[in-house]
Amino acid sequence: MDGSILVHDLVKTYKGDVKAVRGVSFEVAEGEFFAFLGPNGAGKSTTVQILTTLVKPTSGTIQIGGVNVNEQPERVRWNIGVALQETGIDPVLTGRELIEMQARLFGFTKKKAKERASELLTLVDLNDAAERPCGKYSGGMRRRLDLALTLVHKPKILFLDEPTTGLDPSNRKAIWKEIKRLNKEEGTTIFLTTQYLEEADQLADRISIINEGRIVASGSVEELKRTLGFDAIQLVFHEPEEAERASVVLNDVGENIERSREEVTIYTENGTQLLSELVRMLDEQQLSPKTLNVKPPSLDDVFINVTNKQKERV
Amino acid sequence: MDEQKKGSFLVDTMVFTKRSIITIIRNPLIFIPNLIISLFFLFVYEGGLSGISQLPAFEGANYLAFILPVSIVSAAIGGAGGAGQALVKDLENGYFSRLLLTPSSRLAIVLGPIIAGMLQLLIQTILILVIAYFLGLEVAAGFGGVVVVLLLTLGWGLAFAGYSVGVALRTKNAQSAQAGTFVFFPLIFLSTTFVPYELIEAGWLKIAATINPTTYLFEAMRSVFIDGWEPWPLVRGFLVIALLCAITITFSAVSASKAVSSD
Ligand SMILES: Nc1ncnc2c1ncn2[C@@H]1O[C@H](COP(=O)(O)OP(=O)(O)O)[C@@H](O)[C@H]1O
Ligand SMILES: [Mg+2]
Repeated sequence: MDGSILVHDLVKTYKGDVKAVRGVSFEVAEGEFFAFLGPNGAGKSTTVQILTTLVKPTSGTIQIGGVNVNEQPERVRWNIGVALQETGIDPVLTGRELIEMQARLFGFTKKKAKERASELLTLVDLNDAAERPCGKYSGGMRRRLDLALTLVHKPKILFLDEPTTGLDPSNRKAIWKEIKRLNKEEGTTIFLTTQYLEEADQLADRISIINEGRIVASGSVEELKRTLGFDAIQLVFHEPEEAERASVVLNDVGENIERSREEVTIYTENGTQLLSELVRMLDEQQLSPKTLNVKPPSLDDVFINVTNKQKERV
Repeated sequence: MDEQKKGSFLVDTMVFTKRSIITIIRNPLIFIPNLIISLFFLFVYEGGLSGISQLPAFEGANYLAFILPVSIVSAAIGGAGGAGQALVKDLENGYFSRLLLTPSSRLAIVLGPIIAGMLQLLIQTILILVIAYFLGLEVAAGFGGVVVVLLLTLGWGLAFAGYSVGVALRTKNAQSAQAGTFVFFPLIFLSTTFVPYELIEAGWLKIAATINPTTYLFEAMRSVFIDGWEPWPLVRGFLVIALLCAITITFSAVSASKAVSSD
């Protein structure tokens, strides 16, 4: 059993014809940090639940570490660590009791389970709260405890479903630091889902953007920006009203145009060539931007573009 | 290289049982009200109704011995229902999914709360019997009779735990599971609860008492308290319980396998 993930043509249709996942395929190599990036309802959690043996797929094949999830779910469970979107914690037990119990279920002896609990409580910085019932923990503490539970058996593959959603910056940083360490130092394969571009950009080697149950773009962060083949021309005006007029005038210039307050961004095949034309058009309307930039697209730009295009197709 | 790890069903079951026991002990509100209600039955009915045992249909039986099974059985139903309630809580706060993600035995996940519930029930029943002893209970069948009563109670508790776990796993929500425990009332009261069968007036209640499995449990317990060793009430009592257990445990096993492999 290695640390790879292989998903082929995964489909999940819930009762009532809810098509949560509509044919998703991807591969994650051992030791790779892979992110699923997509808005609410895209099908991220459904995918995680299927990959981790909790939910049965409608069709498709999944191999986790070379083991078929449908055929040998128990073997898969020994080797994966899963932190679901909703933390799963019994409020009556203390943090230490929960970790010890989790360790026992993964075959640790009583003594080894105690040792592991102490290690992990230190790792996620919960030593002070270790003897308190988890029901009294804050949201950030719960997340950290949930992560500790996920790591008890040193899994080869980690599944993290929106691990930082709703966390304050310091808790988010703590979680980022720990999962980066696991990936870099221990070689753990990581499958992370997120709604935050920044998170995917910061952490992942490779990203798939998922929207409405389909993967709409995949690649390394750099590749995604490059395959988009667009530059982004960013114009900042003095007044939102100017920006609005400019966006009307320039509507047909690029492939795609976005406006927010006094900013206009135009996506185009070749930004530098278009520049003189663009300045002339603005001049005719007596519009002069405060700043003008041509830059390769950010992950944000990629995301907006692929999801917009998908909308147009529908 | 490819380490084929194996879990241990016994360890898993022990771990889950221990955890359920801790949960029960830390939440005394789970069992104390139930115990109080059962003792309330014992004191109020014994205090208020004991005079009717002068009627010839009681054949000189002590009313305390007659009403005691009602108290024991009602405590058992409440105690066994706790197993289902505990699972519903796990389902609601997401801990159940966390447990399903471990390689532990699926059966052990469900068995833990049931065993803890049985232990709770055993202690409750002994407590009620001790109190009854101080109220003047005499057991015609002696110490062996007490053991028979405990076994009958455990069997009954197991049957009811199977039912409550099944309902919990099916509905996955506390209100519905709570509503499911209302079978308590027909089971306890549509029976030979207060008077022997011959004294029941209404024809419909006679029919209900005949169908109600609790009747056979009451009769089996009363036989050891009042008459000593009588084979037929015991055979009927244990048969009814075996049948009930078979039904409700199958129900809970089917519900469990549905709940753990959700689609
Ligand atoms: N158990 C379920 N039953 C029916 N529909 C579901 C269920 N879980 C999720 N869905 C639906 O499937 C779609 C994808 O949901 P989800 O996988 O949770 O997306 P994400 O995690 O990306 O927000 C949504 O439309 C959601 O409403
Ligand atoms: Mg989700």
